[in-house]
Parts: sequence; C-alpha cells; structure tokens
Amino acid sequence: MRKAIKAFVVASAAIVAASVMTGCSGSNEQATNPTEITVYSGRSEEFIAPFFAQWEEASGIKLNIRYGDSAELAAQILEEGSNSPADLFLSQDAGSLGAVARENLFIELPADVAANIPAEYVAANRNWVGVTGRARVFAYNPDLLKVLPTSVVELTNASYKGKLGIAPSNASFQAFVTALVNAQGADFAQEWLEGLKANDVRIYAKNSAIVEAIDKKEIAIGLVNHYYIWEVSEGLGREINVKNGFFKPGDLGNMINVSGAGVLASSKKYAAAQDLINFLTSQKIQEEFVSQTHEYSLLSGATAPAGLPLMSEIGAPTVDLDALKNIQVTQDLLVKVGLL
Amino acid sequence: MAKLAQERIAPRLFTSRGEPAEVHPVLNVLVGLLLAIVLIPFVYLLIRALDKPLPEIAELLFRGKTLEVLATTAVLLIIVVAVNIFLGTLISAGLHFVRVPKAHVLIVASVLPLAIPSYVFTYTWLALFPSLSGVLAAAFVLILTTLPYMFLAISVSLRRIDNSFIEVARTLGQSRRQIFFRVILPQIRGSISAGALLSGLYVLSDFGAVSLLNVETLTVSIQNMFKSSYDRSAASVISLLLILASVAFIAADERIKDKKAKENVFKRTYTQDARISSIRLKSLVLIVVGIYTTLAVIVPFYVLISRFISNPNPIDVSGLIAASVSTISVSALGAAIALLFSAPLGFLIASHAGRFSRFSERIILVGHALPGVVIGLALVSLGSKLGPIYQSVFLLAFAYALLFLAKAVASMTFSLQLVPPVLKEVAATLGKSKTKISTSVVFPIALPSIGLGTLLVFLTAMKELPATLMLRPTGMDTLATQIWSYASINRFNDAAPYALLLVLIAAVPTFLLSMPQEESSSNSKPSGSSVGSLV
Repeated sequence: MRKAIKAFVVASAAIVAASVMTGCSGSNEQATNPTEITVYSGRSEEFIAPFFAQWEEASGIKLNIRYGDSAELAAQILEEGSNSPADLFLSQDAGSLGAVARENLFIELPADVAANIPAEYVAANRNWVGVTGRARVFAYNPDLLKVLPTSVVELTNASYKGKLGIAPSNASFQAFVTALVNAQGADFAQEWLEGLKANDVRIYAKNSAIVEAIDKKEIAIGLVNHYYIWEVSEGLGREINVKNGFFKPGDLGNMINVSGAGVLASSKKYAAAQDLINFLTSQKIQEEFVSQTHEYSLLSGATAPAGLPLMSEIGAPTVDLDALKNIQVTQDLLVKVGLL
Repeated sequence: MAKLAQERIAPRLFTSRGEPAEVHPVLNVLVGLLLAIVLIPFVYLLIRALDKPLPEIAELLFRGKTLEVLATTAVLLIIVVAVNIFLGTLISAGLHFVRVPKAHVLIVASVLPLAIPSYVFTYTWLALFPSLSGVLAAAFVLILTTLPYMFLAISVSLRRIDNSFIEVARTLGQSRRQIFFRVILPQIRGSISAGALLSGLYVLSDFGAVSLLNVETLTVSIQNMFKSSYDRSAASVISLLLILASVAFIAADERIKDKKAKENVFKRTYTQDARISSIRLKSLVLIVVGIYTTLAVIVPFYVLISRFISNPNPIDVSGLIAASVSTISVSALGAAIALLFSAPLGFLIASHAGRFSRFSERIILVGHALPGVVIGLALVSLGSKLGPIYQSVFLLAFAYALLFLAKAVASMTFSLQLVPPVLKEVAATLGKSKTKISTSVVFPIALPSIGLGTLLVFLTAMKELPATLMLRPTGMDTLATQIWSYASINRFNDAAPYALLLVLIAAVPTFLLSMPQEESSSNSKPSGSSVGSLV
C-alpha cells in the first residue's frame, strides 16, 4: 500500500513535470531543401486537396496534411506551442489565425510573400495573409421575398417577423457580430440582437441548415456566407430555390471575411511553407478558387463566382479582420441576449 | 465500477470474509503507475484552469450561463437515465420471462444500436426531421444510443436469478406483479443502477448528439470554449465542473443502489418452462422491442442505405478500405493497451478490495465522463513534448485506452471474480505453483469474459471522433474522421458509405457481445455475457 502510494506520487510528479516543461528549446535553424512539410488545414479536404496536389507536383515537396476544424486546429497549435509539427496553418476564418498570432506562434511573413494580396486582407504585422474571400450575404427565397432589405439593421423590422434565420453558434455569424461590436459598439449590437430575438428570429445550428430551410420555405431569408448555396445544392444533388442578396454598399451585412494562412514560428521550413502561400495566392490558383470552390479571389480585378457581383462592386465595409479574434465580447453578448 | 460488479453481479464465491488475501507488492506498484497514467488529464486540467486567477474562476463558475448549462445537463441526464431504467427493465425482463417468438433475434436487435455512433444516429434522424432540436430531441437520440447498455446489464443479472425463489413466491400465492416487485426487482436493482451509471456517464461525455441538436450541455460548453474563444483555461474550469458533476452522479448512484443486495451463491435450477405465455404480455414486449429496434436500427439503416444508393458520386473503394484498416487496427491496439492497463487493477480488486483499489476504480470511473476533446488536448499538450510518439498510432491507441479504461477494468475484475477461490486453494494444496495456478485454473475460466470486455473497448474506440481528430497521425483517415469530413460540408451522401461500413464493422463485435456465454461446467460460474459487468 505504502509502496503503491510512493510509486503513484513519483509517477504523477514525473508526468506533471513533463507537462509543465516547455520541451527542448528548438533552434530556428532552417532546413535546406526539405522533402516534405506539414500543413494543418481547416479547409475541407474535398475543396482544397486538389490545390495541394498541384503544389506537390510543382514543388516536388510532399505535403503531410492534417485536416480538422479551423478553431480546433488553432487550439491544438496553441497547446503544442513551440513543439508544433505544423509548418503552415491554413484556416477557414481570420479569427482562428488571430488566436494563433496573438500567442506569437506565427512568423512575420516577408514582404515578397503574397505580395499581390491587398493590405486589408493581411494582418497588420504580416503574421498571416488572406487566401480567399467569403462574403456575408442574405440568402433568400425569391418566391417569398419580393422586397429586399437594404441594410442588416432593417431585419429587426416587423416585416421580417418569424421569417429570418441565423446561426448564432457559427463562427462566421459571430465574426460578423464582432465586426458590428467593433464598428458600432456593444450597446448597438446588443440592441440589434435583442431586436432580432423580439422579432422571433429562427435559430439554426449551421449556415447550410438555414439555406435548406429557405429552400423548403420554412423561412424567407437568412444570414449566411455566399458559397452555401452551392454547397447545399451540391450536397442535395439538385438545384435549390435560394438566391444570394447584398445590402446597400458599405453596410456591415456585406462584410468580407477571409480564409488565410500563416507560417508557424516553430517550423524549420519557412521557405517551403512561404512558397505554398505564394502558390495559393497566385493568379492561376486564385482563378481556380473562384470557378471551383465559388469563393472570391482576393486579387484586385479578379472575376467573381458565377452570378455574383465583383468584390469591388459588393460595397464591402472596411473591417479590421485582425480584430475579429476578440470574440469573447460577442459570445457574452449572445448569451446575454439569449441567442446562445 | 468493478466494485459494483463485485457486489452486485459477481458475489465473491467461497471467500472467507474478513481475511483479505495477500497482495503482491508489485501489484500495488503497478496499480499506482496505472493511476498516474489515468490522472494525466486531471493534472492537465488543473494546470490549465489555474492559468486563470481565482476570482475569475469563481465568476465563471457562478455566472448564470454556467448554472443554466449545468441544469440542462442534469435534466438531460435524468430524462435519459429514467427512461432507460424503465425501458431497459421492461425489455430485458420481457425477453427473459415472456415466451416471445425469436427471442434471440430480438436480443441481438436490441443490442445492435451499440454499433451506431451517436452522431450517426443524429445525422440520420436529422435527415428525416431537419427541424429536430432541443433537450427532448437530444434525450430521444441518447436513449436510442444508450439503452443497450442498460439492457445488457439487466439481462445478465436476470439470467442469474435463482428461479427457486420465484417458484416459492408463486406457491405462496403471489401475483406476477408482486413477484416482480418483491422477488425480481431487488435482485436486479444492482445492475439497474450499474446500467444507469454507464448511460449517465455517456450522456455527460457525449458531444455528437447534443451539439447537432443545439443543446448546450457541459461537454458542448467545453468544446465551444476551446473553439470559439480559444480560452483553454475557461474550458478547463468547466471540465473540472464536469468532473464534479460526474462525481455527484456516481455518488448518487451508489446511494440509490441496494447495498444489501441478495446474493445468490449458487445458480440453481433454471427451467425454460417458467416462461410466461400470456398473450397480453407477449404483445406488449413485442410492441416495445419492435418500436425500439425500428427507431434505433431500422430507421438509421434505412437512411444510410438510401443515402448510399442515391449517392451519384463514384465510391472511393481504396479510401474506404484504407479508412477501415486504420480504424480496425488502431482501435484494436487501443483495446489491447486497455486490456494491459486493466490487468493489475483487476487482479488487485479481485483478490483484495481495499481502500486503495476502490479509490483507483472510482478515479477511473470519473475519468469515463471526460469528453474526448479533453483527453485529446491533454495528450496533445503532453505528447507534443515527446517527439516521435506525438501523432503516432501508438498515442492515439493510448488515448482510446485512457478514454475507455473503465470498461476494461470492470470486465477484468468481473472475469477474475468468476474464478472460485476454492479452486485456487485446491490447486495450491495439490502443490501447484502460483504461475501454474494462473495458467491452468484462473485464465481458462476468466479469459472469455476478458475477451468480451476488450471487444467492447474496441467497439467504442472505432466510433470515437474528437480525440481521433486531434491525435491521429497526420494524413491518416479513420471511418469516423471521414464521416466527419464529409458531413462538415453537408455531403451526407458521400459520408453514407463510410457510416454504413463503420456500423457494419462495429456490428460484428456487437453481435458477439449480445451472445450469452456458454455455461461452463463449473456450476458456480454465473452465466451471461460479461458486458453486464462493465457497468
């Protein structure tokens, strides 16, 4: 018994010590001509794998790709700290990139990496760069909604009572509310959310569920990202009766969020990882994103996904994507209002 | 847990009470090591939680939202456990005492839902009723998922009920109802509480069903905190709350159970003729089992198969094979590690149930309520410092062993208790060495149930998702991760082949688990599947 306790104490102490230890301090000596690099990808395999394969062929470097949910991968990177096996983190949203950047786990990207991406889609300290654009829109059923809203603020009007769907637990909705808080203040955002709630807003778990509900005429309109129409229609294997709409130019409801990438400071293969970023932001691949995954290219003068206005014509508001990581205020707000 | 098994399911036969058997010191040391391993996630949570200053921790714990989540969790837990107790007793007693046609088929069908992960259940039900959400919907899905545990636990003890009691009661003129409540119920109370424990802990740790149905339980809260605010210390604080909740639940369960459960030392005559032929009872049992298997087996299979058929895309056969091979191999490795880990504690409890062993098994039981994401992140934190072990198949298998150790320990304890000490004593007086006794007496008797316990860990590991996503070797896909991968982008048709294959593969060990074990020649050996002991 006594021996058991002793063994238990010794073993626990060893494990505790091991988990507190910061691990061997790795030097940042860069490997020359690596044969493989590791990517943590929050973008779905289905959409991004063909692009990775193209880079592998072009560079001759093998990719070890770990697919996961962007936020979970960010949490994993935070937990791994300086021991992360990842060289590059590709995220669905700016918030997850911001969380990793906040802990100083990304390098500052040289100016010649993704130099063609406009500054508004790059972190201020160049910790990460945007790769594709994802516009917030209102999706609607043209049979049910004849007069379209001009501002997201209008959605608290009685004419939308019980007709609007949102996904408050979804990262993209929370990013939008965060932008609203940052732009207009927490009080304004709270009032708006309370207005929605009072207006009998319908709650869904995911953007795709909103689009499906619009198609089935459960609701007339919903706040989603622009590409869900394709995703849902491809998933169902049929056309759906849902359209994307934009609010008036400059309205926060037209916000553009990005998927993006950063190079881990713990990586020993900066050059290869940066080359992959350059590849993903190159003219050719950006065009393929537009035609194949229906996302917006971030390059100025790029074409838009079929049937949508050019990014320059959306009238997207100016939003500091770096500041979208402060999501705690938003969550507290959603909880307070009772939407989460 | 194993103590429960000991007290309720496997009374220690022939033990001279009050004289604890001698315990080899090596055994204690091994159990100490095991405990240290089991405590890894607890230590991790404490370290992370204490990143926050105490006032903030207190604020987090006592804010309205936390209490609301706690209440939601409690309500869900109570509904699921209460309905499980009622339905589990009804179905197992029905299939045991009432002469229903094709009872063995119905038994297999009632256990089969064990092969279906809760997130697959939820996806299939959402495919039929997309507006399904809320606590009641979650309770519905979780009842479908966890009822087999209750059913198996009760069935095992029903098979061990001494029929002579029932016959005596009958000759004394007691009605069926009186016999059930006065004779049968007291004898199966232990396994009812054991089944309640396992389904309750499942509810506490489940993420798939509740998150898809928009119900915020403690586990969903923890996951949300990791995900949306990247606040690992807040998530850890809530995880510690979850641990407290499971301690409370385990304590409540121990209080409810009848400590002086009647132990029937010998299994006596058991006659098939004692079965009831009442048409009314027969139809009741058939209807209840019919509804359950329709909801929990036929509906999910129908949805999966119709999605599978309507999938216009070509099926990636090599991907399916690769995912199946990795699922099976890493789960098997996890089950093997769990078996290895459970051996010392099983031996300790079977030979000497002291304070130390009881403490150890409760810790393991509490750990059973931890969601996969917590075990996953704890092992990410520790594993990423260990070089090549990190993101290896071994670490993932180790995580499975850690997650499902409680099942293995209970099974091990139960199995070893099947060996009547008198047999060992006889062997010893015949001059056999300790090793010889183990190989020729203990193992042959205990092995089959240990095997079934290992199967259960294997089965559960195959369905695991959150820890798998975090710890799998980069680039390795399992069936569960592939289902997630497609479902996350709404390609349910593409997910269907993987889901169908996972359920079919998992059905094999499930089928084995539902088979009653062969009666051995030793009349002191309780019959029945060992799964009942796992709870």
